[in-house]
Amino acid sequence: MQVSITVNGKSFTHDVEARDLLVFYLRDTLRLTGTHVGCDTSSCGACTVHLDGQAVKSCTVLTCQADGRSVTTIEGMANGDNLHPLQEGFREEHGLQCGFCTPGMIMVAADLLERNPNPSEHEIREALEGNYCRCTGYHNIIRAIQYAASHAVAA
Amino acid sequence: MGDTQYIGKSVKRVEDKRFITGQGRYTDDIQLPGMVYAHIVRSPYAHAKINSFDIASAQSAPGVIAIFTGDDIKKAGMGGVPCGWQLHFKNGDPMVEPPHPLLIASGDTAKHVGDGVAVVIADTRANARDAADLIYVDYEVFDAVTAAADAVKPGAPLVHESAPSNICFDWEIGNPKAEVDAAMSTAHHITKINYRNQRLAPNAIEPRCAIGDYDGANDRYTLYTTSQNPHLTRLLMCAFVLGLPENKVRVVAPDVGGGFGSKIYHYIVSVHLVSK
Repeated sequence: MQVSITVNGKSFTHDVEARDLLVFYLRDTLRLTGTHVGCDTSSCGACTVHLDGQAVKSCTVLTCQADGRSVTTIEGMANGDNLHPLQEGFREEHGLQCGFCTPGMIMVAADLLERNPNPSEHEIREALEGNYCRCTGYHNIIRAIQYAASHAVAA
Repeated sequence: MGDTQYIGKSVKRVEDKRFITGQGRYTDDIQLPGMVYAHIVRSPYAHAKINSFDIASAQSAPGVIAIFTGDDIKKAGMGGVPCGWQLHFKNGDPMVEPPHPLLIASGDTAKHVGDGVAVVIADTRANARDAADLIYVDYEVFDAVTAAADAVKPGAPLVHESAPSNICFDWEIGNPKAEVDAAMSTAHHITKINYRNQRLAPNAIEPRCAIGDYDGANDRYTLYTTSQNPHLTRLLMCAFVLGLPENKVRVVAPDVGGGFGSKIYHYIVSVHLVSK
């Protein structure tokens, strides 16, 4: 079946199988490999992207469900050389080590800050409940998101 | 002393920029020209003898390039993966090191749930997985033991015939007779506890992953794999499993999504992919 999807502002049209997962469409077809597959079971959140502005786990979304909709991935977060405040925050606060979970963390945090620009620490922790980090620990990730909230500029 | 460039300063990591912008290069991000996919068929039983394989319908499934079972590995005379660290029993005997074949052949037994028995190579990930579902393996299921304490009891099912009582080695460190006994005999108070070490499961967020590339014109092999220890992987794979000179094999560890020790080992999957 044919799908037309806008990804990071660009329009794409491809033939896909009905069973194809959005994460493999992004990674294999569009070669946007910043979105990762960690668990394949919707547990780890490394595959988190935005679908019409809402954070979703792309390993649990069929590509055809994104037909006619807009997807944003980690590759679409920076504006040229200007990093998104969350990307700055993760770098400034050492919110990453191996980097594998980081794109998913940034995407879920961007969704949170969109809905709630000044979240409490508790609200940040709750927003991250679907995302695993296995190296850095969550403290610095929370500091990174707090950094972004306090440095947010009109992106 | 004047200011130094680094000492006492917080230094930004050079790798962060690519990680926060989605430009990291982990093993699964690599796509080589003509790359195909492997799916491993694994035992659903903890302890089962394989009577036979039926791969006929899988072989004619869409996109299938090749299927290898444990029988093919045995026929090719390929060795198993070695243990990278030799230990000894307290009495000095070398540890029992049962064979760990790359895939289990018919007539042999799968030793755990997930023991590999066949591998399907196909043009896409989905086709490899579909074809794997068409492989029929005739298993004869035996009793299994899953707790270490139960495994050493008399009459427990044996995991490996060559390891009586399911013990590969018993190991100690220090000088218990001379030093510990002396300390105990003069102690004011002695406390005894039974201590059982917990099961250790390092669990990185990036799963195991490997890509094998064979350059036939130059007879050279490249393995891309998420590894904490590419040099050892090359040594073990060349010297003990494939019988290849190391200068023909390159092992590349790109960005690694965590390891915590679990990616120090030489995994069977790597061997499958390096074999031509």
